[in-house]
Order: sequence, then C-alpha cells, then structure tokens
Amino acid sequence: MSKTQVADIDRSIYDFTKSEAGYERYADGLTPDIVRAISKKKDEPEWMLDKRLEALETYQRLVMPKNWGPDISGLDMNHISTYVSPKTKQAKNWDDVPEDIKDTFERLGIPQAERESLAGVGAQYDSEIVYHNMREEMAKQGVVYTTIEDALHSDYEPIVKRYFGKLIPTDDHKFAALHYAVWSGGSFVYVPAGVKLSYPLQSYFRLNAQGAGQFEHTLIVTEDDTDLHFIEGCSAPKYYAANLHAGAVEIYVGNHAHMRYSTIENWSKNMYNLNTKRVTVGDDSKMEWVSGSFGSHVSYLYPTSIMAGDRSSVEFTGITFAGQNQDLDTGCKVVLQGSGTTASVETKSISKDGGINTFRSSVVIGKHADNARATVSCQSLMLDDISRSDTIPAMDVRNKSAQVGHEATIGRISDDTILYLMSRGCTEEEARTMVVNGFANPVSKELPLEYAVEMNNLIKLEMEGAIG
Amino acid sequence: MSEHKIKKGTIATKTASRSTIAHINVPPSQTWNYLRVNDISFDVPTPDAKGKVFAAVPRLFDAIETGGGTPLAHWIAEASGDGNYVEVPRFTSKGNPIVIEVGPGAASNTAIMVREGATANIVVVATAHEQEIPEASTPSDTSAALTRIFVEKNAHVKLTEVVATDESTQHLENVGIHVEDGATVDVRQYALGGSKVAYGIAVDLAGERSRFNLVMRYHVSGTSTLDVNHLCRQQGPHTRAEIYASGVLADSAHKALRETIDLVHGGKDSKGNEAETVLVTGDDVVNKTLPVILCDEEDVQGNHGATIGSISQEQLDYLATRGLSEQAAESLFVRAIFDDAIINAPESLSRNAAVARASLVLGSDVSHDLVEGLGIELTDERSAHAAQEREA
Amino acid sequence: MSDNTNKPLLSIRKLSAGTESKPILHDIDLDVFSGETHVLMGPNGAGKSTLGHVIMGDPVYKISHGSICFDGADITAEAADKRSLAGIFLSYQAPVEVPGVPLYSFLRTITQMRPELKTTARKFRARVGEICEQLDMDQGFLTRELNVGFSGGEKKKVEMLQLLLLQPKLAILDETDSGLDVDALSVVSRGIEAYRKDCDGALLMITHNTRILERLDVDSTHVMVKGHLVAKGPASMIDDIDKNGFGQFEALLDKSEAANQGGEDA
Repeated sequence: MSKTQVADIDRSIYDFTKSEAGYERYADGLTPDIVRAISKKKDEPEWMLDKRLEALETYQRLVMPKNWGPDISGLDMNHISTYVSPKTKQAKNWDDVPEDIKDTFERLGIPQAERESLAGVGAQYDSEIVYHNMREEMAKQGVVYTTIEDALHSDYEPIVKRYFGKLIPTDDHKFAALHYAVWSGGSFVYVPAGVKLSYPLQSYFRLNAQGAGQFEHTLIVTEDDTDLHFIEGCSAPKYYAANLHAGAVEIYVGNHAHMRYSTIENWSKNMYNLNTKRVTVGDDSKMEWVSGSFGSHVSYLYPTSIMAGDRSSVEFTGITFAGQNQDLDTGCKVVLQGSGTTASVETKSISKDGGINTFRSSVVIGKHADNARATVSCQSLMLDDISRSDTIPAMDVRNKSAQVGHEATIGRISDDTILYLMSRGCTEEEARTMVVNGFANPVSKELPLEYAVEMNNLIKLEMEGAIG
Repeated sequence: MSEHKIKKGTIATKTASRSTIAHINVPPSQTWNYLRVNDISFDVPTPDAKGKVFAAVPRLFDAIETGGGTPLAHWIAEASGDGNYVEVPRFTSKGNPIVIEVGPGAASNTAIMVREGATANIVVVATAHEQEIPEASTPSDTSAALTRIFVEKNAHVKLTEVVATDESTQHLENVGIHVEDGATVDVRQYALGGSKVAYGIAVDLAGERSRFNLVMRYHVSGTSTLDVNHLCRQQGPHTRAEIYASGVLADSAHKALRETIDLVHGGKDSKGNEAETVLVTGDDVVNKTLPVILCDEEDVQGNHGATIGSISQEQLDYLATRGLSEQAAESLFVRAIFDDAIINAPESLSRNAAVARASLVLGSDVSHDLVEGLGIELTDERSAHAAQEREA
Repeated sequence: MSDNTNKPLLSIRKLSAGTESKPILHDIDLDVFSGETHVLMGPNGAGKSTLGHVIMGDPVYKISHGSICFDGADITAEAADKRSLAGIFLSYQAPVEVPGVPLYSFLRTITQMRPELKTTARKFRARVGEICEQLDMDQGFLTRELNVGFSGGEKKKVEMLQLLLLQPKLAILDETDSGLDVDALSVVSRGIEAYRKDCDGALLMITHNTRILERLDVDSTHVMVKGHLVAKGPASMIDDIDKNGFGQFEALLDKSEAANQGGEDA
C-alpha cells in the first residue's frame, strides 16, 4: 500500500536546555518548569497542567518496590529528563541505527522508507489512503479517532476531562506518575452508543505526530451497545536510544458492549517497558485482551480489568517470549466486583537463551461478586537450561459463591515430539519452531490474519536468535 | 509403647512485655505489596531467655531454611529456653514416635538428625487449654514449635503436625527439613483451631532422587486467621514433590496460603506438583492464595492447580444420590477434616488433641463417633467415660 | 416397606426427558412393584442409563413431560437427595472420587440421617463388618478416602456396600459397563444376592449384556431403543435377546412413529 509523507513533526516540544530555573533542586533534571513547558507547547487546559504537576510531585515521592520485579538499575533515574528530551531518543541518521535492528527490518520485509520511520530517523508516515477512507466512515457514524491533544482542542474536551487519568491513578506506581507528568501523544477514541465498527482501528497507522510514542497515552471511551476492536503496535521493533517506555492505556466500556484490545509489543531489546493498561467494564459486556510481548530488555506489563458491572466477562489471551538479555515480568490483573462476572485468562510464555520470563497475575473477587467465575491457565515452555520461567499468580477471594480455578504448568518440549516431527522431514530447528508456533496458537488465532502472520514470523526469527 | 517426648520451655514468665515478629512465612518470590499476601506478622511475648546462646542444637541445623523464616526461628529458639537434639541411629526403625508437645504459653525447639537408612516418626502437637483454664493465662496466649530435621541418605521421615489449639491461643508452627540422596519425607499437617496460626515448612530436596509429600487439611472458623507457607526447593536431580492442601473456611475466617515449588538449576528430571482445594462456607471469608512455580532448569515438570469455591457439581450430584443435600455435604467435608486427623494421628497425644478439638467444633457425639466406630483407643479418661455413657 | 401392595412402588407415566440440548427419553411408561426384579436392556446409546439417572433425579437431565411416582408420592420435582431418603438407590458406573473424606465418615453420615438406620457407632461398625464379609471386602477401606485411588472392582464393592447399608426400597443398578469385567460381575452378583436376601427390595437392572442376569430371578424384561420402551416381556425374553440381538426391537421402533433423534447413554 502506498504511503504519503506527513509534515515534519515538531520535535522541539522536548527541546530543553539546562538553564531552566530551579534545575538544581531536582537531581534528575525533571523540573516543574519542564512540565509546564510541555503543557504550554501543547496549549493545554489548566486542569491538564495541574494534573501534570501533581503527578510530578507523586513521582518524586514514590519508590519502586524492592521485594519483587526485574532489576531496573540500568535506567538512569538520576537523569530522567534525558529520556524526555528528544536529543538522545532518536538516532541522528540511519547509520546510527544498530545493525541488528536493521537486520530485523530486512528479515521482516519492511520497506526502506518505513524502516527509517520506525527507527525514528525519517519522517513519520501514515497510510493516507486507507486512513482517509476510514476517517470518512468513522465521521459518518460519529466515531472519533484522533490524538488526545487534538481532542483537548475540540468539542470532545469535556469527555477527555471526564475520563482522562481517572482509571489509572497517578500513584499506581512510580512510572505511572512519571507518565502523567510528561505524557505526550497517543490516541483518543470515542464510540457513541449503538455504533458497532466492522473493522479494527489500528494505531500503527497513526504513528503519532507529536512526540515519539514513549509516553503516549491512549484513552478509549465506548458507550452502550458498541463494538470496537483496537489494535496497537506491530511486530516491527521500535527503536529508541533513550530507552524508556512508560505509556498508559485507559479503556472505558459501556453496557451491552464488546471491546477487543490487541497488541503486539516488540520494543527494541535495549528498552525498559513499564506500560500500564486498564479497562473498566459496565453491565452485560464483553472485554477481550490479546497480547503478544516480544521485545524490550525489561518489561513490567499487567493489563488490568475492572469488572465493575454485572454479568460481564473478560478474556485475556497472551504470550510472552523472553530471549537473551530479556527479563520480562508480564501477566494480568482481574478484579471481579459485579455479580455474575467471569474472567478467563490463558497465557503462554517461552524462555530461551537465558531469557527470564515471569508470569505475574492477580485475581481479586470482591465481597459482592456473587456467582463470579474465574479461571486462569498459564503454560510455560523452557527451551533450554539457561533460561528462567517463574509463575507467580495471586488470588484473593471474598465471596463464598464465587468459583476460581487455576492451573499452571512448566516444562519443555518433549523429545518425542521433536523426534516425531524430524521423522517427517523437519530439521530440529524447524521442528522446535513448529512446536513453539503451535504453542502460541491460542494467541495468534485471536489476531487479524496479517498480525498473526507477523507474529509467527517474529517467533521464527526469535527461535533463530536473529533478532537484536 | 514408650514414646520419645521432647521437653519444652515456658515462653515468658518474668516479663509482660511484647514484641512484634515481622516477615513470617515469606515466600522466595513475592508479589504486589498492596495485595498483602507476602507475609504476616505476629505480636508475641518477649522471651525471658532473649539473647542467650543455646548449646543443645548443633550448628548445622541453623543452616536449614525454615518455612516461617529466620526472624521467627530465632524467636522460637529464644522462647523455648534450651533446645532438644535427637538422633535416630543409622538403619533403625523403631516406630516409636518422637513426640513434641506444646500447650498455651510453651515453646519447643527441636533438632532431629535421622541417620542413613533410618526411619523416623515425628509428631508435633499443639494442644489447647485443659477445660479448667488456669488463672494465670493471658487472653492471647502463644505457643510455638520449631522443628528442624536433617535427613541423611535413604532415610525415611514421617512428620505429623496437629495444631489443635482454641480461640484463646495463637500458635507458630515452623519446620525446616534438609533431605539427602534417596531419602523421603512424608508430612501431614492439620490446622484445626487457634485464633491466629502460622504454619511454615521449607524442605530442601538437596539429594538426588529425594522425595517430599505434603498433605495439609485445615478448618478455619469464627474470626480466626491461618497463614501458611509451603516451600520445596528441588535442587537434586530426579527429585519429586507433591504438595496438596485442602480445607474449609467458615464464618469470617481469614486464610493465606503460599506454596512454592522451586525447580533449581541442576535439578534435572525433577517433578513438582502443588494443588489446593478450598471450600468456602462463610459469608465474610477472606481467602488468599499464592501458588508459585519457579523454574531455572529445562528438563523438569512443574504443575499447579487450585480450585476455590464450592464442592464440585460432580461430587455434589453423587453425594445427593446418597441422600446428602448441599449443606449436609458441606458438613460432611468439615467432619472429614477431623476424622482424617484422628485416623492419621500416629499416637495418643495427637489423637486426643484432635478429638478434643473436634468435640468443640462438631460436638462430642460426632467427635467420638469415629473413634468408637473404628475401635480406636483413647487414653484420655474423660473421653472413655463419655463413650461408655453413650453406649447405654 | 410400603404397604401399598396393590399399587406399584415405582410408577412412571409418559415420561420424556433429556439434557439442555438434546431430548433422550420419549414417552416412557413403567411400573415396578415392591420386591420385583426388572431388567432393562437395549442397544448402545438407547438411553437406558439416562432413565436410571432421571429416576434418581440427576440435575443434568430435565424432564420435559410426564411424571414419576414413588411409594405413593409424586417425586417428579424432587431433588436427588430427597429421592434417596425416600428409598431410591442408583449405583454409579463411574463412582465419583471425593478426596479428603474417609469412607467411614461418609457411610456414617448417610446412615445417621435416616431414622430407620440411626444407631450407635459400635452397632454400625458391626453391621459394616457383616456386609464386608458378604462382599469379601477388607475393612481397611473404611479409613481410605472415598473412591480415591480405588480400582474398578474396589469402587464397585463400595457401591454394593452402600446398597446393603442403606437398604433402599428400589435399587437401580446400572451395569452397562460391567459386561466384560469378571471382577465387577462377581461383586455385583454377590451384592444383589445379599440385597434380595436381606431386604427384599425392588431391583431395576440396567444392562445390555446378558451374562450378569444368569443368576437373577427376573419378573419383567423391558427393551429400550432410541429412548423408547418398545417391548416388555417375561424372563424368557432375555434368552431371545441373547440369541437374536436387538434387531427385531429396532425394527419395531422404525415401524412406529418414533423421533429421529436418538438418545445416548449419559
């Protein structure tokens, strides 16, 4: 599909110098003035600036837990502002992009122009034609799909104000607070009552124009009787020299509604990915998460579902692949508050080449969640004896009519299986890749076809150890 | 018929001061702190013997990891005065149990060395007050038992723990076991009462082909709290671990259960299974579970399963065809916990304690029913009298 | 025992039933009098086991039409536990495992709740001892967890032990799986003999294999095909089935206006 060039983005939004007043007070360089400047450049309403400043205070106060979670000492917490500044976050030109990233683009067949865009050295692209048609369709139905910044300057500002930052609290964890202080870019989606979109919205087409996605905030609000499928990310690695991603996704689902949120996250292998995603669901609705986590050096990722209404259900299907130098702590959280609510979690994890995979989950069933049902199934595959796979699920049940089932298995590919496939002509590597792809099938079959194919390709590359 | 009885100490008589032991029952891998499932703390009397050095227990036992953790182990050692050391000689299998008994206000610290090829039967019993509660007791009495066992190669250990205290007492039950090549350890734990009970056990399957089986049964009611930490480190190759916990939570009971199977690098061809079944009958129950599998080795299998809620429909239907309504089935499940304790109690002290506790929970008709029905002898005179009266 | 000797102990009228998704039994009429022995036979998938479970009140099945009367009372809407207390017993083909519950505790509980069986622990134990002898069963079973790790033959013995302990007015023995299992056959035969001798209860024997019937004194034989009761006859019908199979009965059904959907055994 042909792409058109988007006007060069204004990267100066993060362009600061050290002579800011009060700089010395903040050892990490992230001062209230920086935050004010961000807000001013975006021409934000007062309430948004207040929220940013409050978040900055919270960020200074909070500490990361010491008794669990991957090591993030590689993040330069003393110079957090540099993560926010554009100078270090983008490579200056194509030559600066690491070789293994370039290789991956090659293997995945990404067109050259897009490669530059993904690596942050070229102009941003979006698929103007497809996107243009989508926009007309959506406008007819009253669906809004824009940036939060644009929404704040439109008639939808009250909606943003009503929902932004209300689901994920500023003090959820230290990097949520950082996010709220410096967030930039991201999508705002609004689906009015009764509208059922027949095609998914894909954030890939909106590599957004302001800021480069490290601290993007996605806000999705759907009213009653709606149907929306939102796809975030893509299999191609996103590279940043300033290697912190602290994004947030807030989703509000109405009553009698259906929402599916699919992601393939493949941050480059130097990244620290501390992402926070949360949904709250009304009555008689269905929420589905489909999640593939492949990249980043360290991940903290636990999409959270609050089943506030009655008789709603949530399904979470996810896969995490941890290879060399990766310590991925992922899973999900479910809170069943309404009566008759159900949750079904199925996750797979694969550990290889010394990768560390931690499945971390919590299922909390509140006192009033009569007849709630939750099942969690977590399978881990160890591909060698130098990797690690830990399963740490927690359950907190406070209603006697609730039923919770949980099962987890950890093991390796059986020699018999490999032998069988080899006896049918596969090489050992092909056999192992086939088994792993089969293992990942419950996730890939939930994705739209081209994403599923991409995911399978990604797995193939990971198995070859070809990805940087 | 003689049993090897262990001496215990009185925790504190000289001072009324209290202290807090934090971080009891901490699992090797923790989770989000806001869930408040990572540990528990206890408010306990400050021991008279604080700071003394104890000679009876050989140093090597200090290296044995316990389920309750080091701060707790230290406190129990201080609280029990001098410790006990028992050695079961090589290749012996006398069958007379080693019995460790603590009542309210008492603590014991026992180190047991089970030599190569020996068989040892160990019982830990936490009893309640006798019917006439002594004047000197305080409202929140504490009892505690620290038991560390070193199992040499090819030895076999059977450990039965019966905590049968009542609502006036809190109990701290802490066990650590080190297991060498080819040795096996079978543990049965019963949590039948107590206002606040911590049950911790850590087993290190250091030797190859060593095996660990654990069955825990619990009944928590009223406003009582049960906090459990089960940990098995499968270090040696070809080890096997099976951990199974099941119980009933009634009224406003609080329970936290942590199970960790740690498949350590080097423990090739090891298999660990953990499972939990919980029946919740109370309206204000808080039930927390943290079943963890840690895996650092390829050629292993780890499995975990938990079922929380009510009796399975399949079981309910079968029991209904025999005349049991759902409520009657629940009562049967509660009774079964106590019957199971009585059946598996290896000697009279533990058996009596289970029957006494069952009498308080189920009524004395039901509590003595099994004993009479199976012709088990109770050495407690009061029960024997009561039995005779019922026969009339 | 019932003193309505002129009225059937069990009376089923125009009963249709099935699962949520599928009808299995169609228009069943059946009468069993106190003390009688009835046999229910039919090809695989006829719905024979389903009928046993529906009489017992298994909540998996829903009655869409018709009624069941037992010992003078309409039990169509009664739950299984009430039917058990009224005197109906159904043996399971695959008895369910109930971990953590000692067999003793279970047996004691189900007998103590029946006024006619309530007794002291000692007397109960003696009675159990008698039955274990009749069934050639080791009393060590009593401390084992109900059905957990029991072999097929052991599970059968436990079912027969319950049968003899509970002394039901109507015993429904579903032996469709037992055809080829010599151990099971022998256990069940012993159980039936003791049952007939000790309490003269009614017996409904469900099977598609005639071997188990060899020593039974049969009053009535019924044949079920695709959820319909297509034939009823005396004991001699069993020999006929032995020689000729169910072909003639299947033909009978085809001739009449039967439903297309077949039933399958639970």
